[in-house]
Amino acid sequence: MLNWKKYRPIDWALVAIAVFMPFLPLVDHNGGHINVLVNAGIYMMLAIGLNIVVGFAGLLDLGYAAFFAIGSYTYAMVASPQFGLHFSFWPMVLISAFVAALFGVILGAPTLRLRGDYLAIVTLGFGEIVPQTFLNLAKYTGGPNGISAIDQPKLFGYHFGLNPLPYYYLVLVLIAFSLIVANNLRTSRLGRAWMAIREDEIAAAHMGINTTTAKLAAFSLGASFSGLSGVVNASLLTLVSPDQFKFNVSITVLSMLVLGGMGSLPGVVVGSALLSILNFFILPQASNLAATVGLHIDFTSYRFMLYGIILVAVMLFKPEGLWGSEQRKAELKESGDIAKAENAEYEEMPRETV
Amino acid sequence: MELFIQQVINGLSLGGIYALIALGYTMVYGIIELINFAHGDVYTMGSFFSIAIIGLLDASGQLHGLPLLLVLAVTLAGAMILCGIVGVLLERLAYRRLRNAPRLAPLITAIGASFILENIMQLWRGPSPIPFPSVVPNVTWHFGGVNLSSNEVLVVVMALALMAMLQIFIYNTRLGKAMRATAQDRDAAQLMGININMTIALTFFIGSALAGVGGFVSGIYYGSTWFYNGFEAGLKAFTAAVLGGIGNVAGAMLGGFVIGMVESLTAGFISDQWATVAVFLLLVLVLIFRPSGLLGEVLPDKV
Amino acid sequence: MSRRSLARFVALAAILSMFGTSAAVMPAQAADQVIKIGIDLPVSGADASDGIPTQNGAALAVDEANAHAPKGIKFAVDALDDAVGGVHNPQQGATNIRSLAADPAVMGVVGPFNSNVAAAEIPVSNESGLPLISPSNTNPTLTKTAKYRTAHPNEITYFRVCATDDVQGKAGAEFAKTLGLKKVYIIDDNETYGLGLANVFEKDFKEMGGAVLGHDHITANQQDFKALLTKVAATKPDAVYYGGTTSTGGGLVRQQMGAAGMDPAKVKYEGGDGISDAEFIKVAGDAANNSYYTVAAPNAAKSASAQAFINAYKAKYHSDIGAYSANGYVAAQVIIAAAEKAIKANGGKAPTRAQVLKNIQNTSGFKSIIGTFGFDKNGDTTSPVIALWTIKNGAQDFVHQINVSTK
Repeated sequence: MLNWKKYRPIDWALVAIAVFMPFLPLVDHNGGHINVLVNAGIYMMLAIGLNIVVGFAGLLDLGYAAFFAIGSYTYAMVASPQFGLHFSFWPMVLISAFVAALFGVILGAPTLRLRGDYLAIVTLGFGEIVPQTFLNLAKYTGGPNGISAIDQPKLFGYHFGLNPLPYYYLVLVLIAFSLIVANNLRTSRLGRAWMAIREDEIAAAHMGINTTTAKLAAFSLGASFSGLSGVVNASLLTLVSPDQFKFNVSITVLSMLVLGGMGSLPGVVVGSALLSILNFFILPQASNLAATVGLHIDFTSYRFMLYGIILVAVMLFKPEGLWGSEQRKAELKESGDIAKAENAEYEEMPRETV
Repeated sequence: MELFIQQVINGLSLGGIYALIALGYTMVYGIIELINFAHGDVYTMGSFFSIAIIGLLDASGQLHGLPLLLVLAVTLAGAMILCGIVGVLLERLAYRRLRNAPRLAPLITAIGASFILENIMQLWRGPSPIPFPSVVPNVTWHFGGVNLSSNEVLVVVMALALMAMLQIFIYNTRLGKAMRATAQDRDAAQLMGININMTIALTFFIGSALAGVGGFVSGIYYGSTWFYNGFEAGLKAFTAAVLGGIGNVAGAMLGGFVIGMVESLTAGFISDQWATVAVFLLLVLVLIFRPSGLLGEVLPDKV
Repeated sequence: MSRRSLARFVALAAILSMFGTSAAVMPAQAADQVIKIGIDLPVSGADASDGIPTQNGAALAVDEANAHAPKGIKFAVDALDDAVGGVHNPQQGATNIRSLAADPAVMGVVGPFNSNVAAAEIPVSNESGLPLISPSNTNPTLTKTAKYRTAHPNEITYFRVCATDDVQGKAGAEFAKTLGLKKVYIIDDNETYGLGLANVFEKDFKEMGGAVLGHDHITANQQDFKALLTKVAATKPDAVYYGGTTSTGGGLVRQQMGAAGMDPAKVKYEGGDGISDAEFIKVAGDAANNSYYTVAAPNAAKSASAQAFINAYKAKYHSDIGAYSANGYVAAQVIIAAAEKAIKANGGKAPTRAQVLKNIQNTSGFKSIIGTFGFDKNGDTTSPVIALWTIKNGAQDFVHQINVSTK
């Protein structure tokens, strides 16, 4: 049951913007802007997926771009002149998501029993290996050139071509779909298991939750969203190449999550929208503005400095993010004591240190 | 065979640099269980500081008047102190508040701090590789078909000497004892009158100063540096720390040399394009099969 | 308002401001007719040393065009950066071209600089009919196959004023022969441009009877090349040929050769235009000497007609021209000339993009500071020139140049 009272005007404003989005192209006919919005939408989908892993289950995945790469390459290989295959777009959306999920399982199965910070580093290593491997296996992947002339989707005889407008609506639909799926997952039995694991893995295990299965599910479900985004990305750009999937993609998506609020779906939407606006509108405008007063500062090249500041500042001063869930906030507040208690317990064991 | 020995020498020198960085990782992780992601960038700052100090000495016209050893000593000491300060500031500003927060929180700030440091260096000296002044004459000795240069010896000797000094410091001084106590049980150590904040800050200072040494010798060894060096070097050094057994000083050293060898031998005998993949693959495999590392004890995960 | 809802309010305000921005940027129907020349080059980070001198060249051409523009017409520059985090980025490039294509005032674009960016931009250009003229893309497949022209395979919208790598690699191989090199080891940076160039060099050098001792790919942006170079040194080459750019490792490879047992004074170093920037000398230091490289553009200083350009460039930007400044200048001139021709045909009214494209396609006998040229049926220049350079005493030194016209 919806409790209408708990929504404030600010929440309604967000809803109003969401309702307005489908009508935006009626106001703004600039294909460049629409294209920017499509790119932003692809990042939003990535953020929704990563949120399942980092936000819901509390597993820090620093190599999320690897799954994005796997999704993109899966579609590229079977829908381009590379092998002369031209599979249809729509089933491939699902298949690529599945393939990415499969790799999520393959990577997750052996590594998920690692402690959180080790897991982060392993995923980071994986994120470095995957694009490098695509680069090195030039025979199948086109090496540095990547795979080009990737097919565009067709829907009821309408060919998408390279016009960003149909992609805009496709991405809107996929985002809505992703949000619904993510929300259902959150409130499902599995979602509650993730929450329990996030708060206290040992307690969760004692409560009879199969933590390995639950974590694996988070990992592969999260990966599947990036497979989805990968297909859209590959077909709109018509090109996949290893340099599109570097560490900075993973960090961009992570920064979106942290800014908006890990674990909160409205937070993910707001966080990714804000960073995209920053990237595509504010930073370039700032450089232009500086240029008009004779300052030649290229703000866009300090984008990652800004991400760094966001990561540090948000974690220090507002760890639940701009639009965090109440529950996560409470958790982060009290977790100090939890962590302390855990540490004390853990450190009871004799160990050789330093 | 000569080629193999030559590649082993390359691997050992490379490993010496990794080892110096790995010491900082292992000390910090040992004491507060944090992967100090920005540590690799502190290492790069070591190179940057060294370049700046040599530049200052040169600008004051003293570089050529002073004995070489004095120049080196001043540069090295300066780089160590400055890096140490960067490390302490990192701990104070980005990590201390989160000491009791869930573990992922300080890891995320560490990643953020790493990006900030990289961009500061980019602002400072630009985005391209920067030449490192060649103040140290490089002498090469020939043994049959094998060449050994003084720079290679310098890297390895520095790494071994500092590890030995660190080992002595940790096991034979009061401060070292305080560090070990804090690592074992922070609360109990506090009850025993140990100043926890001071001890942790000291750990960061020493670890970062060692990274500064790494930055200094790598500058001499490679003759160049650039702002992004620390990302991969840091990851590889972290791999070394894990491989050796995190929290273990000798292990970090051993891990560093192993990683250096793996990278050199892969580049030398398979292909350079697979060298990085080989190192990260090793990281993944070690973490999966022996997360406690070569010299670490097997510990159960938090009960 | 609590602190928390304040934060949310700010977030929403920022999102709303986006709509404001996008509405404001929508093209206004100005009374004064503005014709825009788009520029898409990497102008930040490590790539800026390539992009900025080229962009300056193009902007200079637009300035000059305004001095004698047809009445009621004003030329303007719309410059975008395709670098993200300081490195050229195909996705950003494609987005930029789409933005430029959406503005009907943009008649043509100077760019991109990098071949892999072009691979993502050509499909957009082809679909939207927005002409692209690259000052520096040297990868042959961009024009010689139709695979990037996805929407209209027979419509040429992408042109270039530089020679391609099949000629550059060949010129490099011939150059190696004249230098008396017999055994060469090839290293490339495993990027579109570097790998392509290295492969052509390898093929041609072998055909000319040279020995290729090995061919390795490096991982871009590393610090340590010693292990690889030790392996190279063991094969005792006369020279190392590097396919790639300074920023991916071209300078460091050269600089570390000495420590790996190859005396830079004895073992030569050869490369393509990727190491033609001033950064190479800075990074390689003393080892930069005894290096040789090809550039897919003539030496502007050698042409009398270019002196005016060089002087004007210096006066405006207070720096020397870059390897591709002249090409950027000429690429912009081609677009301007095509637009002016269309204006004349329209009786002084601003042209359509289709008219400009048509005129660019029909460009022939175009007199410029990089020679007289036109575009062939693929969009390539009919008069490609390769210049050969060396580095002596820490400075770039011109050797000679050859015209490698397509037969």
